Amino acid sequence: MGATATDLFYMLSDAVRSIRANLATTVFTSATLGFSLAILSIFFLVFTNINAALAGWGDRTQLVVYLKDSAPAAEKLKSEVMAMDGVKSVRYISRKEAFEELRAGMKGHESVLDGVDSATLPASLEIRLADAYGDPAKGGSIADGLKDRDWADEVQYSRDWVENFSSFLRFLELGALFIGIFLVLATVFIISNTIRLAVYARKDEIEVLSLVGASQTYIKVPFFIEGAVQGVFGGLLAMCILAVARYVLASNIPPYFDFAVRMPASAPVVFGFLVAAGVVMGVAGTLISMGRFLKV
Amino acid sequence: MIQMFHVSKDYEGGTPALRELTLKIAKGEFLFITGPSGAGKTTLLKIMFGSESPTEGQIIIDGRNYSKIPSKEITNLRRRTGFVFQDFKLLASRTVFENVALSLRVMGVSPRETRARVQKMLSYVKLQHRANFKPLQLSGGEQQRVAIARALVKEPAIILADEPTGNLDQSLSFDIIELFKEVNNRGTTVVVATHDRAIIERFGRRCVHLEGGRISE
Repeated sequence: MGATATDLFYMLSDAVRSIRANLATTVFTSATLGFSLAILSIFFLVFTNINAALAGWGDRTQLVVYLKDSAPAAEKLKSEVMAMDGVKSVRYISRKEAFEELRAGMKGHESVLDGVDSATLPASLEIRLADAYGDPAKGGSIADGLKDRDWADEVQYSRDWVENFSSFLRFLELGALFIGIFLVLATVFIISNTIRLAVYARKDEIEVLSLVGASQTYIKVPFFIEGAVQGVFGGLLAMCILAVARYVLASNIPPYFDFAVRMPASAPVVFGFLVAAGVVMGVAGTLISMGRFLKV
Repeated sequence: MIQMFHVSKDYEGGTPALRELTLKIAKGEFLFITGPSGAGKTTLLKIMFGSESPTEGQIIIDGRNYSKIPSKEITNLRRRTGFVFQDFKLLASRTVFENVALSLRVMGVSPRETRARVQKMLSYVKLQHRANFKPLQLSGGEQQRVAIARALVKEPAIILADEPTGNLDQSLSFDIIELFKEVNNRGTTVVVATHDRAIIERFGRRCVHLEGGRISE
């Protein structure tokens, strides 16, 4: 029983008619979809950004050697350290660079450093260890080896920090996983119940249509269209909430936390994703909820 | 037109609704099904309409076996059968015109033809002046006439009516049955379930009496 142009016309006009007749339900369902999607998106946005940033921190300098004034030239030092087992990379930081980095890190409060001699800070070597040397015992032996060099003034290697940081990351991931699962379950539950109530309110219509000889397609398509429309509006609303939340967060957190609200993709991609997610949820929720009312 | 052989229907956890029922209804016949509440009248009509399938036995309508009906066949059966419900089953949010038009829309009849046929049918049941009213603005008798118009407008081969006069006073009840008689005179098979003895006596058609899911003619 293929649908003819007349059938399509009737199904479309039925969809438009019932969106207008059930405007409050349409708005309520769209809003539920929008808020649920927004909460989920904000959670995943902040979580993935913080996680990426933390992983980045863990990847940074693991060892710092502050140099005596009598230390040899940068290139000689670098090749000497690179020759050691377990060293992945070495970066030489001159006195001037150290000062510039400090100034950059104090974004917004640079005036504190006015009048301070730019040669105050010592030159240093930032050393990253090979992954195999990531555990505190092996890293510690390299640090001890560096301490014995006559050009080394002080070696900084915080083995406790390395240990704590990796267990903190694991804890954070586990916690976020649990919260994420609960949030997804709650979202699915709220959306499916909202749609089920909306469909339930129209069970008489579904029953009568079926009794007068409407095909399953004829009954389902208008609901399908309505579900998709609600999904599009839900996605739009989620995008608006996300934009506002991002703006509010971005203007109220310190600049060095900016990364937490960074968008993972360009705005059109995020928008497309939210609308698609809204449409899938709206349509799937509607069709699943309709199932039991179709058996008359 | 309709043939039922040893049809039984059991509902889960309940007493059997129909037992070993054998019944033949000829094309163009007008048949009353009567009996007390719970006798199985509604179940019998629902089986003829494809809303229920029999637990046992065969049902043949217009030469086709409908004992185990796939959902697509139910749709076809319903397009050829008009059902009039005791509680009318009209959509309160739609006008009289739209309720009647529903039967034709679901069959893909064009808007122009639908308009013409619905207007003609509303005149036939004397409701043309109520076309733009909502069902709840009508009296019980008028609502039942809308339901009948919706069943008739698709020009079905069979009309099934479940207690169509259940909520109406006697003179309105007679009017409704008179309407079915006219439809029957045009060749449509009509099956009316009722427990109203006055109607059966007045119209003097064949009557099947159900008692405890069995026929006692």
